[in-house]
Formats: sequence, C-alpha cells, structure tokens
Amino acid sequence: MAQVIEKKGSLWVSTGVIRNSKLYCHIEEIGYLAQIGALVLFDEGDNVMGLKDIFTKCADRQYGCSWESFEAYRHLKSLGYIVGRQGQPWSLKHNKINPNSDSTVDTDLIAGRIEELQIGAANLIFDIHQPNSKFKKTDPGNPSFIICLVGDRPPSRKEVEDLEKKCKSVPLKFCHVSHDNVSFFSFPKVSLPVLP
Amino acid sequence: MELSGPRWKGKNFAQIANSNPMSEIIAQLQVCLSNSESAALPIGTDFLLETVPELTKLLNRTSFGRQLTTSYDSKQYFQLSPEETFYLHHFLKCLKVSIDNAKLIDVNDLWNFMRNRSELFPIYYRAYVHLRSKNWIVKLGTKNGVDYVVYRHHPALVHSEYAVVVDWENDKGEKQSERLRVWSDLHCAVRACNGVAKAVLLLNVMGYEVNFSLPELLERTIVDERQITRWVPSQCRDDCKLEGNKGEHH
Repeated sequence: MAQVIEKKGSLWVSTGVIRNSKLYCHIEEIGYLAQIGALVLFDEGDNVMGLKDIFTKCADRQYGCSWESFEAYRHLKSLGYIVGRQGQPWSLKHNKINPNSDSTVDTDLIAGRIEELQIGAANLIFDIHQPNSKFKKTDPGNPSFIICLVGDRPPSRKEVEDLEKKCKSVPLKFCHVSHDNVSFFSFPKVSLPVLP
Repeated sequence: MELSGPRWKGKNFAQIANSNPMSEIIAQLQVCLSNSESAALPIGTDFLLETVPELTKLLNRTSFGRQLTTSYDSKQYFQLSPEETFYLHHFLKCLKVSIDNAKLIDVNDLWNFMRNRSELFPIYYRAYVHLRSKNWIVKLGTKNGVDYVVYRHHPALVHSEYAVVVDWENDKGEKQSERLRVWSDLHCAVRACNGVAKAVLLLNVMGYEVNFSLPELLERTIVDERQITRWVPSQCRDDCKLEGNKGEHH
C-alpha cells in the first residue's frame, strides 16, 4: 500500500482509503492510475517506480491482488464504477487505531487484507458501488454488489450458495478473467411460478 | 437477462391463455387418454402412439409429442420423447405402454426399461416433472443448445421465456455432471439464448444417487432453480437491473 502525498482532482473522492486522516492506495489502484498517467509512484529511495515494477507488484499476490483481480479492477474502474476491496472500510477514524499498538498491527489495519489470493479458489475481491459523484468515503452505504473472482471452473451451486451467505443480502457477481476478456456472471435464485 | 414478462405472439393471446388454463386442458387429456385403447410403442429412442382426432387435438393443445404428418385422415400418429411418455404413464397415469406390441407394461418395468436405455433418464425425468407439474409446457431445447425450452402456455400463443439447462449433484452438494464445466460453456449457453430473448434457467437436481428407485427419485431430490445471467458493465451504469442484453455481442 502506498500513501498519497499529493493529490489532484475529483477522482480521489472514490479512490484510495482513509486511515488516520491520511490517504492510501492499494496496489491495483496504483497500477490503474499509473497506467493512465494519473499517478507517479516513488519507492523508499525516492526513485520513480516504472510501470513494469508496478505491474509486477499487482500480479505478485502478496498484496491482496493478482493480475486477474487487477484486470477486473481496471475494467470496472475505467467504466466509472466505484471499486473497493471487499469488506474493507473506505475510511477509518483516528480513535479506531490504538496509537500505542505496535506498527505491524497498524500496517495490517491500514493495508487491510494481506493474505494471499489463492489461485483457483473463489475469492471475494471487490465491493462495487454504481458511478456516483456524491459518493462519500465516510458514508458509502452498502455496495451495489460484490465481485467474486473465480478460477478455471465456474462455481458449483453449493459454492455459489456458500458465497452468497458470506455476502449476506448484497448481490454477488462472479468474475472470470482470461487473456483479453473480463466477464461477469451471476446465478440469482429464481422461482418459476406455478401456472394455472 | 431481465425479461419484461411473457412475449405473447398476438393481441388477446394473453386473454386466450387466461381463459384456457393449461391444467384444465391436461385434465381433459387425462380422461381422453385413459379411455383410449391405444398404447405407446418404442420407436428408436422415442415412443409411437396411434391416436384418433379427439386425442390428437388434446395432445396438440397440451403440446405433448410431435405429430407425424401422414396422408391418412382417420388415424394420427404421435412421436413422444421418453420423458413425455413416462410422465403421461407414471405421473398423469393415463397412457398405456407396450414394449413388444402385445402385453401392456407396468410402471416399474417401464422405469427399468427407460433406465436401461439411458442412465441419465432419471435426472431428466426429475427435471421434466418439476417443470410440467408447474403447468409449464416443456419441449426439447436442442435447437437452442440447451436441454429444454419452456413456455407459459401453448407455443402458438407465446414465445418461450426460458432455456433450461439441467445439472445434478449428490447429497453432499458435489456436482456430478460434466455440464457447465468450463467458462465457455456458460458463455455459450447465455449467448445462444440471449440472442433469441430467452433467459437461461439452471435446474439442479440435488441429492441424486444413481441407485434411487422411482419413489426415491421424486421424494429425496430437490430441484434448485437459478438463472444464469451475464452482466455487461459497459451497458448498464445507471443503477438499472439489466443484466446482459438481447443480442449483445462481446
């Protein structure tokens, strides 16, 4: 995760998370903005990080992101959707972080889900809000739907049901990324009526 | 895709359908078929039924089987699928069946006969019962690349709303079929069906075991209904509920 030192423009209304009144970006946000030339990333030595290094980090799976989830992020973000990491608050106030705790805990809280995205498993990755210029990180409301990234195989009925339970009543969409294609499917329960 | 309701093929067709509930026409068919001496005979993988005009009319009105056109007037011939034959014989209890053109066969022997010919018969029959018992008209969906297409009433009155794919799993929720194994299977089903304004209905026969008897099949399996929809984010950005689009190309 990187801290945003200088920001310009309204895109920050719906990009990056606020922790302790500071603005941070996840690697997929960095990758997307860097690719469109809207962000410059510096490493600890104050050197500019090139796109190759940034893309590599996106694909690394160590930062809660994979190349596939990055592609999904990029696809939705470029269409104007508001994309946040699943289950992560957009904004956390100062008093929710213990100032005396050790720095690893703080990093966890700031960076959010650091566990690796498992290859092949179904992972809930993003909370999506419809494009909305009035979006507020301090009061985002419920997401319009949740994106689940799936590997090679479409999910079975049981997998769909188990994941729906985790999402509570938020609609779930399944995303599959392959080469140049990002597709989304959903499997809503229906009830065929009994006809007269 | 979000369908805006059934697409009737003509003005007033909805009223015609309303005035002629399918369940009533089926009840008439049951009476007529029970009184008929005609028995269905195996023909290829299907069954042949010789009929007379009154029965012909009712089979056509309830959309069972395919009438074979002939130059004869007094008798007509219908070709019934295995599911249709078994449904009329077992569920509606009105069709006589004979395997060797002599003795009539009973339901247990017919069940074994069907199972020997196709190990998937029980699964498809379970799905067929699920749909027909809700009074939907069920036809084979081969032309649409799916198992069945279902109609709210007679196909002459209304377009079919759903293309049905049948899947099945055991009682641990483990998928047992090779259907929808890879993503292109999903793309295929959705693209083919959205192109003809049908939603894809996925029926999952849950709790299926290969050794089930006929009563066990009906009592111990549940049919789960889900729609398969493709969402195209570039086509829907204003909080609308459209999922996928008729004829969309991506």
